[in-house]
Parts: sequence; structure tokens; C-alpha cells
Amino acid sequence: MKIILLNHKKFLIHCFSLLFLLTCVSISNLSAANHESDAEITIDAKPVTGTVLDQQGQALIGVNITKEGSTLGTITDIDGMFTLNVDEGDVLIVSYIGYKEQRITVGSDSNYSIVMMTDSELIDEVVVVGYGSQKKSDITGAVSTIKSEDLNAFPVLDAGQALQGRAAGVVVQSNNGGEPGAPINIKIRGNTSISANSSPLVVVDGFVGGTMPQPSDIASMEVLKDASATAIYGSRGSNGVILVTTKKGKNGDLAVELNTTFSVQNTANKLDLLNATEFADYQNQIRLNNDNTTPYPQGDADTDWQDQIYRSGNINNTQLSFSGGSEKMNFYASGNYFNQQGIVVNSGFERLTFLTNIDAQVSEKLKLGVNLFGSRGNKDGVTTQSDGSVTVGGDDVISLAMRFAPDKAIKDENGNFTTNDAIGDEVDNPFAVATERVDETVSNNFRSNVYANYDILDNLSFKTTFGLSNRSENRGVYQPSTLQITSSAVDGRARVTNANRTTILSENYLTYNKEIGNGNLTLLGGYSYQKNDTKAFAAAGTGFLSDAFSYHALGTATSLLQPASSLSEVEIQSQFGRVNFDYDNRYLLTATVRRDGASNFAANRKYAVFPSAAFGWKISNEDFLKDNETISSLKLRVSYGVTGNPSISPYQSLARFASLYASRNGSTVFAITPDQPANPDLKWESSYQTNFGIDLGLIENRVNMSLDYYNINTKDLILGNNGIPEYFGFQNDEILTNLGEINNSGFEVSLNTRNIVKGDFRWNTGFNISFNKNEVVSLINGADLFGNAAPSYFSHDRSYVLREGEQVGLFWGYNYEGVYQGGDLPSGTATLEGGVAGDPLFTDVADVETGEFDGVITEADRTIIGNPNPDYTFGITNDFSYKSFDFNIFFQGSQGGEIFNMTNVQLNNGDANTTRAYYNSAWTESNTDTDSPRVGNNSNREISSRFVEDGSYIRLKNIALAYNLPTSLTDKVNVGNVRLTLSAQNLATFTSYTGLDPEVNYFGASGDNNTSSNTVQGFDFGNYPTVRSFSFNVNVRF
Amino acid sequence: MKTYKYLLLLLISISIVGCSDLEEKPVGLLAPDGFFQSTDDIQTAVDGSLTHAINEKFWGRKLSIALMLRSDMVKLQSTQTRRVEMDELTTLPSNGMLSEFWPKSYQGIAAANLAIQGAADVEVDEAMKNPVTAQAYFARAFYYFHLVRQFGAVPYLDAPVTDAEAAAAIIRTPADEVYDNIIADLEYAKQWLPNTQASRAIPSKAAASSYLALVHLTRGDYQKAFTEATEVISKKGDYNLELDPNFQNLFNAEVIDGSLEPIFALDYNNFEAPNNGYDQITPMAGIRGDDRNSGGGWSVAVPTLAVYETWPAGDYRRAVSLDEEASIGGTIEPFTNFTISGHEHAANRPYIAKYSRFPGPFARGNARATSHNYSMIRYAEVLLIAAEAAVEIGDNASATNYINQVRARARSGGDTQTGAGIPVTIGASDVPADITGTVTVNDVLEERRFELAFECKRWYDIARRKIGAEVFSASGLEGAKPGFSADDYLLPLPEDELERNENLTQNPGY
Repeated sequence: MKIILLNHKKFLIHCFSLLFLLTCVSISNLSAANHESDAEITIDAKPVTGTVLDQQGQALIGVNITKEGSTLGTITDIDGMFTLNVDEGDVLIVSYIGYKEQRITVGSDSNYSIVMMTDSELIDEVVVVGYGSQKKSDITGAVSTIKSEDLNAFPVLDAGQALQGRAAGVVVQSNNGGEPGAPINIKIRGNTSISANSSPLVVVDGFVGGTMPQPSDIASMEVLKDASATAIYGSRGSNGVILVTTKKGKNGDLAVELNTTFSVQNTANKLDLLNATEFADYQNQIRLNNDNTTPYPQGDADTDWQDQIYRSGNINNTQLSFSGGSEKMNFYASGNYFNQQGIVVNSGFERLTFLTNIDAQVSEKLKLGVNLFGSRGNKDGVTTQSDGSVTVGGDDVISLAMRFAPDKAIKDENGNFTTNDAIGDEVDNPFAVATERVDETVSNNFRSNVYANYDILDNLSFKTTFGLSNRSENRGVYQPSTLQITSSAVDGRARVTNANRTTILSENYLTYNKEIGNGNLTLLGGYSYQKNDTKAFAAAGTGFLSDAFSYHALGTATSLLQPASSLSEVEIQSQFGRVNFDYDNRYLLTATVRRDGASNFAANRKYAVFPSAAFGWKISNEDFLKDNETISSLKLRVSYGVTGNPSISPYQSLARFASLYASRNGSTVFAITPDQPANPDLKWESSYQTNFGIDLGLIENRVNMSLDYYNINTKDLILGNNGIPEYFGFQNDEILTNLGEINNSGFEVSLNTRNIVKGDFRWNTGFNISFNKNEVVSLINGADLFGNAAPSYFSHDRSYVLREGEQVGLFWGYNYEGVYQGGDLPSGTATLEGGVAGDPLFTDVADVETGEFDGVITEADRTIIGNPNPDYTFGITNDFSYKSFDFNIFFQGSQGGEIFNMTNVQLNNGDANTTRAYYNSAWTESNTDTDSPRVGNNSNREISSRFVEDGSYIRLKNIALAYNLPTSLTDKVNVGNVRLTLSAQNLATFTSYTGLDPEVNYFGASGDNNTSSNTVQGFDFGNYPTVRSFSFNVNVRF
Repeated sequence: MKTYKYLLLLLISISIVGCSDLEEKPVGLLAPDGFFQSTDDIQTAVDGSLTHAINEKFWGRKLSIALMLRSDMVKLQSTQTRRVEMDELTTLPSNGMLSEFWPKSYQGIAAANLAIQGAADVEVDEAMKNPVTAQAYFARAFYYFHLVRQFGAVPYLDAPVTDAEAAAAIIRTPADEVYDNIIADLEYAKQWLPNTQASRAIPSKAAASSYLALVHLTRGDYQKAFTEATEVISKKGDYNLELDPNFQNLFNAEVIDGSLEPIFALDYNNFEAPNNGYDQITPMAGIRGDDRNSGGGWSVAVPTLAVYETWPAGDYRRAVSLDEEASIGGTIEPFTNFTISGHEHAANRPYIAKYSRFPGPFARGNARATSHNYSMIRYAEVLLIAAEAAVEIGDNASATNYINQVRARARSGGDTQTGAGIPVTIGASDVPADITGTVTVNDVLEERRFELAFECKRWYDIARRKIGAEVFSASGLEGAKPGFSADDYLLPLPEDELERNENLTQNPGY
């Protein structure tokens, strides 16, 4: 005990030296625990030592050894050794996950060698499910569990990112490359909707819709995939559910863990663009091709704009946690500091997070607990992937760095930032935009969740939880007067926006358990109420005395733009129930139902009911397989159920006016206009899902495999802007109706093998692969549904299509047929009107009625030109360990999805810099044998298959080498386990894609709430590049 | 005992959360129920209607630039497909300008219909509320007048949609019937609107009457056009109308508010409203590299050289309407050297000056979101309507009188400044202001072409007079436009609108 105290002092010194902030709560926890422990020291106690080994004689690390009836305990070190002061006659309880618990009575010996036996049902870990937990072997639904180690293999800002490649059926994609704090896109089992978002429901420690904690605080993450697992979440279950369980304290001494990572990051890739001289030549060629004799006025600089905006970035991620407890009470408290300097100048993210979990067994029957979470994030942003709606993309640093004239210096002779004034739209230079523009977002998150669990009878318990969460986001943007085009005319432009969302949640349920003969029955029934309200406020102004005010002095604006505020409230009240029946440990039955009532549902459709049922058969427990040596476990699962996607924003079904700014007698006033009609029958989308699954364990469960097939029909799709003609005059072009159906089906395989289990060298492999196929089954009147995912200044109206019988979000445009060489048009092809030699040839689609070609490319010649949906995605991880070393290599990839390279559309259209590849290959009279059309032709900006590329890739996502310091060394410095890890992320990507990175999703975040769109996929434009990192991690347990 | 205590706790905890009726209470949102209570509420909807016209999707750019490009006086310098289609009269039903001003027109109409319907709920004396409601009638006529001239027969709604299914299946109302409705609306407006308003951006009796004259003229109902136009002229005292002695004032955002010439205007006031509720005409017509207007213009819509060359030099309006020189990179350059900016779209031709010279304060670079008041109809046009109608009804004395009033101002000279900001004084023209002898329709059309140059009137003149074959021939101002055919007098209905209502037919030739 004294030693431990000493460690703490040393530890605190370490902490301060790391400038780590401790909460008062954490400190007081620390001292309280010490005090308690000190009281238990008995003089008579003798030190007992021991070694814990597995059946193969390998030391087991981290095995819990506790003295029965006390809080005294320890864990084994790296060599499987432990020491504990106990009396003769005391009982030691030795426990370790996956092994059978042992009880050893202390005799006269002072040294024990304990061999742990694997539990016959190794897979009998407990898995968290909605409103409860179950043994994994009893699960009838499709559920994937992601372990804490996998979530923490390398530093990520959001635990969602750590899910990538880890679970079958879960596709994780960054919407904007390596942008610090960028939203990520998580899809479980495909695109189950069109207009609604695809983000799964996140439940953190029972709090529905909670903010995802950071990875190091997560004990486990369960992904609920089929209806049997998700229907208990009713109208919010159809995108799948991610259940997050944060870490809790364990019985025993105070455990302190320090984890710190430092990463250095760089762009994985840069585009090869023209230098100033080549660029001037390129522009002159364009002018000649367009009979323009004015020479390009070449500037005297030669600037590589990509070099100007990229830099080396880094991440510093440090976490300190305390945990411990007694039989009556346990706690876990942690603080985390994450700081990322982005690889684009002036971008970064800083976050401080605290989490505390306390559980208390107040009496034999009553257990109380509290879960507290708080975080503050500070994002320093640069704009990337801009939609260009207002600024012709003049705010988008990445696309600017690619398109901006390289013959311009950063500043002109007057000291002003240069602008793109000789080609294309006049915009500010990317360096000016990146460094001058201020864009800060501060988000505060707070959540507290209190529960009480009361055992009314031996087999009947009641749990009530009450939660409150608040999330506020403050964003300030300032465009200073130094930005020549953006804001010099108005002497600076500032905008402040604020959104505050509060959720209260009350859940109350009874759980009843009874053995009936050979069967075991569990009943669950409850009631839930949730209310979300979101308040938003925005104000903006122009004309500031000084740029130094940034956005903090709106009051001094000479021209104040109209402020805006809003309130949106949603109430959901639900009843839910579940029956689990397990007969003879062979037949499993699960049935659930949830009835959701929600205020955002339309007047005639306030309530919805979502049932599901599942059946499981543990074949391996049948007599004929019971003693089979090869098959250790085999279970078949089948389930069917209905889940919903609410996809209706508050007030969406009500008739509404919109407010407009109008000019009246020289001043600005408010005015109204019809916004949308009422739709009292608007209802949620419903997904009907069937799932077949097999769980198979072979050779003492050294090989574990799960295979699932699913089929999801989503009906009553909510679609906008279709049947309602524009001459109705409603301002809202997203008037919603329930029409349309979409289908997703697929296979998922996950395979975990322990390849080598004996000796010093160990090898485990984890592999998962998911095949999903979606199909648009029906749309309103069978009409194609078009969308656009091009920057607005490209002036396209359509870039993707939804068509009955096809997959979701297919690229839409002309089919490229190579370069027109002059003379007669090759049969079935044509150019745009007025095309000359060197112009692109496109497929001339024959008229449906006459079968004739019209010899010119028009609207009617557009067709499906690509499919962004991957055939499959996969992840494979291998863990090797040799004595104190372990090594992990993790690949992740996607196969078969195509990318529309919108970046090249811009870089080929003439009013921008271009790639060296295009410049060198473009058609000229002396270079006719090429696939690239002449420069400056009038159809380079058209959406065509010329820009569709294969987006398949395999990425070496993480490679890590870890070393556990020997106890002999750590003992000398009085610390516990020390583990050092060197790792690299995104070290290599194998792909034929010619853009910066195949993991792209321009326009992929739908709306302003960063939820992920289902229909926009595979567009690449102005992406924040994916970064390559090298990380060093130190993990110390005291 | 204890058990009951906890069961009690259970009941309490459930009762805390209670049961909600799940009714939505949209605080802060505008719900239609019971909205219309006072005349102010009617006015709010009228303002909503007219503000759609200000939007970039309507007069702010998409419609105004389309009208300029389709005419024979403004040529496209950029290469964007949707603009090329307008300039070369090869417009497809998918055209991206069309798809913006079609819905915007109907949003203006829907807000006007809302005001008219809402007015029925306002329990105020007719004498109080009808003058406000009459503005909505005017606004509705304003939008349908644009629509019918562009598309001919169009879906016509005169009330908010209640039966969506029926409304989604209507057919196009014949153009004549649309015109009858426009005239009825304007007659109502004329009956109830006051002679003058606090601003020319608020419809007045003068505005309704002037538009009636223009509608009759457009339909070729010359007697009615003459009667209506001369009524405005005879009441110019009551309506407080006068030709502005300084033609430049009409295009000077700083002084236009004081001018008596505009009759109905769209008033921009240096405000960048969301959803593109501001104008971008100035940069679209502006000179690349121009030292004015915070970044110069974009050189998209530029008149042909013939426009300048056929314009008599002694006409003061030419100096106001066109920039013959500009300051580029700190040096004054004649238009023959405008490509010195080096920009690919720059042209060595005089540029439209009506918008770039005095845009007033503006909220975005390149003089976007200006303070201009764009006249939709002004007193000079009423004089020219009267003149044209007089020619048609054989009243040469009146025709001469009215056209010469307009010519006199143009030929008496005045002060202005060049595109480089150099003050110039244009002396009185040697050419006499007066047309003597017989005034012809062509005289009036030519006068309209100069007087109303780049004010988006020319296309409508070409279309109503069906002179496309002539003005788009090789001898026209822009040279031959081979894309032109008589079908181009009407635009196609937007393709996606036809998909939404299968009963809508397409115009011939598309």
C-alpha cells in the first residue's frame, strides 16, 4: 500500500510535467480511495505471491485477484505475477475474461502457481443489447462487438472513425478526408433511405442520442444490425444502432492509467499541376483554340499553391484515468486532452473531455449510479468542399490551391493579396483565404444520466433512468477586409451563429426472469419519454473599423444584417416490451415491440408500432454435436422485424409561411410567402428486415465465424419536390410525401482465428467483409429522381440519378467516346453543337420512338455513367506477439465503387490551372492519338464518363509495434505496466484512382447538421486530403 | 413495506414525465392559421410577393440577363451553356436560367394570391384594405405579364392551392385568357391604388395604369393602349411624373430616389439577403479588370460593336449607356484596349454603363448587392407607348409630340462621367430633336431601343413585333443568329415541370 502511495506522488509529478489538467473530482476520488485502502492494512497479513498461467503455460496479464469479502485485490503483471498481503485461510478469487473463475484458499504456502482453464463457452461474453444485456451465445440478432483495443489502436478524434473496417456490415467513411473535426459517415447495412440520413442511432450508456465519447473511455461498442436487435428502438432503429458502454471501475485498488500519443501528420498526396510557364502556355493555347489573340498576361511569380497551404500537422492526445471500487461502490473517472494541428494552415481541433461513472450498491436491493460526461471542443476551420453557392468557391482553400493561377505571387507590389483576375471567376488566393479568414467553432457537451435499479422480487427488477444532455455550438466567421474579392468592398464581414440543443430522457422498465422447467423466460416492459429542443441564433454584419475585432464586435458593424433565431421541439413517448425464451439452452426465441408516438409525426399519424421476432437454434448443444471435437459451437439465427426512420423534421408536416427580407420604402422589412402546404398524413419510413445468420466456432473456438444474410425493404420513403408542380408557388422545394421503396440486401462475414496459440509467438487474425446491394424499387410515378453534387458555379443541374431497378445515386451525364478527329462523326457519336476536331465525342443516344440519331449531343443523350456503390468493403487485422513485443497490421478497403472526379472537371475546363497529365496529353493537330480532348474546348465542363474512375482501394490503415517494458525495469521506477507503441496510419493506399484519395464524399454531409446523405456518393471535389501519420504512444498503468 | 415505498417512487417517476398530446407548437414559425388580422398583414404578404422579383433568380440576374442576351443588343462573352442557349436562341427545356425564373415568378404569384385570399379574412372597411390588396393584384399581373410574354399559355392560378391533386393536373390557360386576367387585375389595382406612394417601388395608380397601357400595346390593342397611356400623361401632375432632365440620374443609385421619372421600380438597397435576394446585374455587365466596383466586372453580357456604331454620337444617352473607356490597372484605356486585362472573356467593345457607373453602396465585391433602383416602367416609356399606339391609330400629331419629348431630352446634352471616372459634358446634338413628317413604327422602336437600352425591354419588343427574322439576320446588330426561328418568340416550359404535370404541353419547336 505504501508503495502505491509513493507511485501516486510520482505520478502526480508526471502529470504536472505533462501540463495535464486534473479535475477536482478526480483528485478527491484519488485521495478518498487511498484513505479507504490505508484503513485495511493489517499487520498480520503476509505477502503471498503467485503466477497465473493459461493451459499452454503462458503467463496471463491483467488477471484479477481479490480477497473474498474485501476490496483488497491486485492484477497480474506482464509476467503473470502478483503479490498480495493476505492471512492464512483467506480465499483468493482469481478471475479473467474468457476463463473460469477460481477460488483458492490461502494455506501455509506463500507462492502459488495458478493455471486458468478456458471457459467451455469462451464466446459467452456478455453483450449489451437495448435495455439490458445478454450472453453472447444467447443472442438471436445480428450484433457486432468492437473491443476497446481496436477502438484505440491509433489516435482518432471520434470513436466512429475507429469503427472503420472493424465490423462487418458497417461502412465508415470520412466525409472530408483528414479535416480535424470533420463529420464522418457511418452506414450500417447500406442505404436504407433516400432523403433521410443514414446515420445510426447512438446510445451511450442507455442515453438515446448521446454524444459519442472518445475511444479511450469506451469499454465496448455493440453494433445492432438486424430488426431483432434494433426494433426495441422502434422509429429510430432502421439505420442500425450503436450501443456504447463506457468504462466502469472494478473491485480492487485504485488503478491509474496514463495514455499519451503524439502523432506527426502529412498529406498523403498532392496533385501534379502546371508551373507558371507551362500555365501561361496552356492559357495561350486555350485562347488560340478560341480565336482569341490576346496573350495571357503572365505574372512574374511561380507559386505552388498546394505547398503554400499544406504543412506538417500533429496530434497530441493524452488521457488520464482513475478507477477502482469496493463491493459497494465503484468509480471510473477520466480526463482527456486532444489537440490536432491540421495539415492545412490555420486548421486545427482542440478538445478537452471528462467522464465519470459511479455505481453504488446502496442496499441489497437498490443500486444507484451516475454517469457524467462533459467536453469542450474548439475547431479552427478552413473551408473545404465548399458548395460555392455564394462565393463561386472563393472560400474553398483546397480547390483554390488547385485552380489558382501559379504565376501569381501571394501578394502584389502594393502588398495586397493577389486575386485570380485573368481567368475564370475572380477569387482571392488560397493562402489569403486560409490564413486571413477566421472560422472558429466552439462546442460544449454535457450529459448526465442517473439511474436506480431496484430488485422488487428475486426475479423482478425495476430500473429507472433520468438523463439530461446539452450541446451548444458557437461558430464565428470573420472575413477581413484584406480579402480583396470576398470582403474588402464591405470592410470585413462577420457572422456569429449559435445553436443549443437540450435533451431530457426518462426511461422506466421492469425486467422479470423465471425458469420454467428446462426453459428460461425473461420479460421486459417499459415506458420512455424524451424531449429535444433546439434553439438557434445567428447575427451578422459588415463594415468594421478594424479587422482586429474579428467577429467579436458585431455592435460596431456599420451595416448589421438581419439576425435570425429559431426554436424546434420534438417529444417522443414510447412503450416497449421484449420476451426472451430459452428452452434447454438449445432453442432461443426473442420477440420485441415498440410503440412510438412523436410530435414531429403528422397529425393523423402520431403513433407507430414496430414489432420483431427472432429464433435461434444452438445446434452444437444437440446430442449429435455435443461431443464433436471440431465444432465447438454452432448456432443458427433467423429474424424478421420492422423498424422506422423518423426522417421528418419538426413542423415538416404543417402548412407554413416562410419569412423573406423585402425592401420597403428604402429600408429592409420582413415579408411572408407560402412555404409549404400541410400534409397531415406524412409518416415515418419503415424498414422490413429479414436476417439469417450462422455463428460457428471450430477447434475449441479457435476459429470463430459469423455469417449473416439480410434483406431490407424500406417502404413509405419520404421524397421531396416531386409530384408538386413549381407553379403552386411554394418556396420550399422539398415538400415531402411518402412514396417510394428501396431494397438493400447483402452478406456479411466476420472471421476471427487464433492461428498460433502456443509458445512465445502468438498470432491472431480478424477479418470481416460486407457485400451490400441496393436497388431503388419504386419512385413517384416511376419517374427518375435527379440530384446535383457539383459546386453551384459549375452550373450543372444534374449529376446523379435515382432510377427504378437501379442502384442508388448513379452518376448521370454523357458517355465519353474519345476525341473527335474531324470529318464524319463516328456512327452513334456526336459532339456538342458546333464541335470541331479535338472536342470530346459523346454517345448519341438514339431516339426512343424513331430509333434515329440526331447527330448532336443534347439533354436527351445523358445517361447513367457510373456507380459509386462498392461491391464490398472489408477489413483485415493481424496481431502478432512475441514475448514483450506485439505487432499489429490492419488493412481496410473497398472494392468496386466508382468515383466521379469533379476536381478534374474543374482542372480541365480552362479557367483554372490543370494537371500536368492533361496538359501533356491534350489533343492538338500534332498529337491526335490521345484520349484527352483539346484544351479550351466548350464541353470540358460537361459531366461525362471521362471523369468516372474506379475508386477501389486497399489501405494500410494502421501498422503498430508495441513493447511492454519488463517488470524488472518498471519495478525499479515504481510504476506498473509500461507499454510503448510506434505506429503509422494510412502509410500506403493501393488504388488506381488518380485523384488525391479514393475515400471521398463531396456533398456527402447532408444539410447543416452534418448527417450523412444516402444518395450522394463518390464525388470528389476540394476534399481535405487524407493524412499520413506517424504516432508514438506511451501507456502507463500504475 | 419497503417494496411499496419503491413502487411509489416508480409511480412518481413516471408521473413526472407525464403524458404528452404530442401536438406541435411551432413557436417562431409562421403558421397560416389566423395570420391575417390587419391590413399590415396583407401588406406583409404583398411585400413577400414583390420581393421575389428582386431575387437573383428573377430580376437580380437570371431573368434580366436572359432577356438581354436573347435580344439583338447584348452578346455573351462567357461560355456557360445555359447562357449560350439564351444568347444563341437555342434554349433547351432544361435550361438552367429558365428553371430558376419560372418557379420564382410563381412564388411571387403565390404570395400575391395569399395576400388576396388573406384580405378576405381581415375585417376592416374596404376603403381601408382594398388599396393594400390592390398592390397584390398589381403584383400578380406583373408576374403573369412576364410569364405570358415568355411562355404564352401558362398554368394560371388565382388563389392559393387547396386541392393539390386537382391543381397538379390543370392544363395551360390560353394566352388570351391570361391577358384578360392580367387586365382585370390591373383594372382592379388602378381602381383602388392611390395616385402616388411613398416610394416608386410600391405600386401606385400610375403604375397600374402605365402597365395597362403596355399590356394593351403588347396585345396590339392600340386604341386602348393609346387611351391608357395618354391618360397617364394627362394625369402626370396627379401622379407626380416628369421626364428627369438628367438622363444619367435614372442610373445613379444615389439620386434615383428623388427622380420623378420612374413609375414602378424594383428597389435594391445594398443588402445581401439570404437565398440570393440581391442583384448581380452590375458585375455581369462590368468590365474585366475595371478599377471600379471592388474587383471590376465579369464581362459576361457585352453589347456588340454595332450597337455602339449605330448609335448617333450626338445622343447624350450613348455616353450614359455605354462605357467607352475605363481605368484598368490604374491606366485609362479606350475600349479598343479593354483586353489588356488579359482575361479570356474580356472584349474590345464599349460595355454597358447604366449599372456600373453609379451603383451606390454595395454589399459584395464586384458590385453585387447594389443600391440600384431598376425601373420596370418609367415615364419616357409611357410617352413611347403613346407614340407607338398613336402611329398605329393614325394620329401622327400625337405620335410626333410624344416621341419628340423623349428625343428632346436625349439631344439636349448633359453632364456625366466616363467609365474611367473623368467628368464629361455632352453638348446639344446637331441632329434636331424633332422628327418631322410621318412617324413610323420603326421610328418608335428605334427610339425605344436607345432610350430603354439594356433595360430588358428589347426582347419583348422583338417578340411582340415579330421582327426576329430581320434583327437576327446577317445584317442585325449581332450578325446572323442561325439558331433563331419563329418558335423562339416563346421559351420552352421547364422540362421538369412537364414531368410533374403530364397535362402540360410543350411549346412548338422544343
